[in-house]
Amino acid sequence: MTRRSIAPRLAVLLAASTAASLLLGGCGTVNTTSTREAPSTDSVPARTRVNDLFTEIFLHVRDVRMFPAKSGVMQAQIDVANDGFETRGFSYLITWLDARGNSIESPMSTWKTARVAAGGSITISSVAPGPEATDFSIQVRRAS
Amino acid sequence: MTASRVLATSSLLLALAACGSPGKYIETGGTDSIVSVGEVDIQDLQTAASGMLESLVAQGVLSTAPHQPARLRIERVVNDTSSAFDVGELTYRMREQLVNSGQATVLTAYGADAESPEAQERLKQEAFRQGQTTVDSLQPDFFLTGKITQLKRSAGSTKQVTYTFRLTLTDSRTGQEAWTKVVDVTKQGTKNAVGY
Repeated sequence: MTRRSIAPRLAVLLAASTAASLLLGGCGTVNTTSTREAPSTDSVPARTRVNDLFTEIFLHVRDVRMFPAKSGVMQAQIDVANDGFETRGFSYLITWLDARGNSIESPMSTWKTARVAAGGSITISSVAPGPEATDFSIQVRRAS
Repeated sequence: MTASRVLATSSLLLALAACGSPGKYIETGGTDSIVSVGEVDIQDLQTAASGMLESLVAQGVLSTAPHQPARLRIERVVNDTSSAFDVGELTYRMREQLVNSGQATVLTAYGADAESPEAQERLKQEAFRQGQTTVDSLQPDFFLTGKITQLKRSAGSTKQVTYTFRLTLTDSRTGQEAWTKVVDVTKQGTKNAVGY
């Protein structure tokens, strides 16, 4: 078989594999939009720092909000988006802090897992264990 | 076989034997924990307890009780799954948070299956001495009941199981449901794994 006869076959094979990859990449991809354009009134300035944490696992944070729940205790919500082409999973641990910056030990503070589809976003949330909690810290780890 | 070859083979075998993972302590329920596809793991119970508590605390149901802290009686929580575990692993985690934070107190001397029959007997004797027929401090504001179920499915060698934890608080004054919460934990895979 000569080199000339291999070339077209190789081109067809390349085209086919590229198309297959694109098709497979498209599977499970989520397209997201929202009617809201203005940032939430409960957004907190920590978004950049939290986003830096998530960027390390190839995700990004759209918003971080903190607001009082129905009972008056604080609740945190973090919108995590996946701009990549594959579903990404991660584990996170949210620890609540009191006004003096001390962590509040509670069985409510446990490692949790989440998965974000390609192109999609999720909201992870946490409720403070009590009224003494005013702030939180978050640890993130890419799922194995 | 020469002596040096025997020595080399023995060394290799010894080295291979030493390759096994040595015992170590890990964070309970942490990301190094074992994930069992067909069993309820410690991290599943922690997730369920955390989800239940977050909902209960956020809703503020306990603060509506006539007594503060709210008097809570933990009734039957049925484990209707094929995984053998003590439901106390779930309820005790919740008790720890609710009791220690002062939001609720658990009545351990109430009912036919009181956790502390001695305390129950002493309270009854005290009430009898005072001419009372019931012990007021043993009247609960809420009853906690629940059920844990599972839904198993498979596709080829991939197994999937959803464990559904559901708890309900019933208001003892009205007999009506005051709070309810469902927490799902779904696991999928072909075999158990270390870490998640």
